[in-house]
Amino acid sequence: MSLYELLRGPLLWLAFGVFIGGMVVRIILFFTLSTKKDKPIYRFFSWKWLWLSIFHWIVPLNQTAKKNPITTTVGFLFHICLLVTPLFLLAHGVLWYESWDISWWSLPESTADYMTLIIIGCGIFLALRRIFLPYVRVVTTAADYLLLGVTLAPFVTGYLAYHQYFDYNTVLLLHMFFGELMLVVIPFTKLSHFLMFFFSRAVTGMEFGRRRAPSW
Amino acid sequence: MAEVTALDPKKFKEAVKDKSNARLKMWLEICAHCGLCADTCHFYLANDKDPEMIPAVKGRKVLEALRKKDKIDEEFLEDFYWTIYGECTMCRRCTMFCPFGIDIATITSTGRGLCVSQGKVPENLKKTIASYYEHGNQMEITQEEWIDTLQWMEEELQEELPGATIPIDKKGAKVLYTVNAREPKFYPMDISQVARVFYLAGEDWTMSSKGWDDTNLAMFAGDLKAAAYISQLVRDAAEELEVRRVAITE
Repeated sequence: MSLYELLRGPLLWLAFGVFIGGMVVRIILFFTLSTKKDKPIYRFFSWKWLWLSIFHWIVPLNQTAKKNPITTTVGFLFHICLLVTPLFLLAHGVLWYESWDISWWSLPESTADYMTLIIIGCGIFLALRRIFLPYVRVVTTAADYLLLGVTLAPFVTGYLAYHQYFDYNTVLLLHMFFGELMLVVIPFTKLSHFLMFFFSRAVTGMEFGRRRAPSW
Repeated sequence: MAEVTALDPKKFKEAVKDKSNARLKMWLEICAHCGLCADTCHFYLANDKDPEMIPAVKGRKVLEALRKKDKIDEEFLEDFYWTIYGECTMCRRCTMFCPFGIDIATITSTGRGLCVSQGKVPENLKKTIASYYEHGNQMEITQEEWIDTLQWMEEELQEELPGATIPIDKKGAKVLYTVNAREPKFYPMDISQVARVFYLAGEDWTMSSKGWDDTNLAMFAGDLKAAAYISQLVRDAAEELEVRRVAITE
């Protein structure tokens, strides 16, 4: 089995398995522990405050967004492109079609190309923030830089692969490896916020909501 | 100043286990270290924007404490104690501004609870909590002094409004009125003022001879066992007097 086949086959299965399985375990652990030790969540449970809290932060309708327009803009661009680009990239769609005979809408190639550059640019901005703002530097650890690197690596290598800079085969293998690495680390690191964000916003939204004090 | 007590790593580990709940674990793990909480904190703003004062740093220290378990040492605990008591008032302002809604106030409270396991509580707060256990209120007021104060205030009130009363332990009253123990101690007139309002409004009310202090300073020590005991005192009084509502002083 070539390295390509390994990354395209078993390791990809493993990566998705760890990613999805890991997050399922995280959610199960949250519910089993919280039903025992976080009774206020269930005692004051409210769908209304749950959705309002998530809504005001999944779109920039809050004081923090108003106070920090640049960071907010960069943050939203980064996250939107990060989610949309890999899912709707034409080349990825072709792979899905070849393997599973399924297909969906894809982005024009030039748009995806610009979106990748936006992700890399936003990533650099976030790194510079960590380096130059004292109140961000103070809470920054090596893990924060590493995770930013792990997040950006698939996009940098993807960009290089698309433009066929350097040795295409090597870059492609690296691209696949970094993509799988990112999936694998998500459940074990702060990157799990992609899902836990909703849980955290919900519990805090309800906690403030029961005092009629919106948390946004 | 906190009393100097011997370190008890075993108790600290137990406290860590007891206090680790699902929200705390989630919050400490997902904090993205973005620093957006910085200028929402009055300690940060009042200390020339000292980055060590930002809420996320306090969260990080609690995370360190949780991870240390029985590897806790004097030096860490001392620094931890001053951060958790001296650099956070648990006002929850940062919670309102955190994109994830991470509740640093609750995290600080947990940190204080960990300090409680080592007997590391500010001395005045410690005395206050002892007073709740001994006298049922934070100001070491005996039941005799309390009743005397109420009767004295009733007399003063009657000079102005003949017929007005301050009912004590009136079973089946609609409202049980509770106060801050500072009122009988330093501002007893507050009680007669309220009695005047109740009288003129024709309200069916009573005060209780026990369980009448509605403050709960044990909460600020993260001492949830003591906090529950104190709340229970008021609840017990309300149930014994079969009142419909408990009113709390402003």
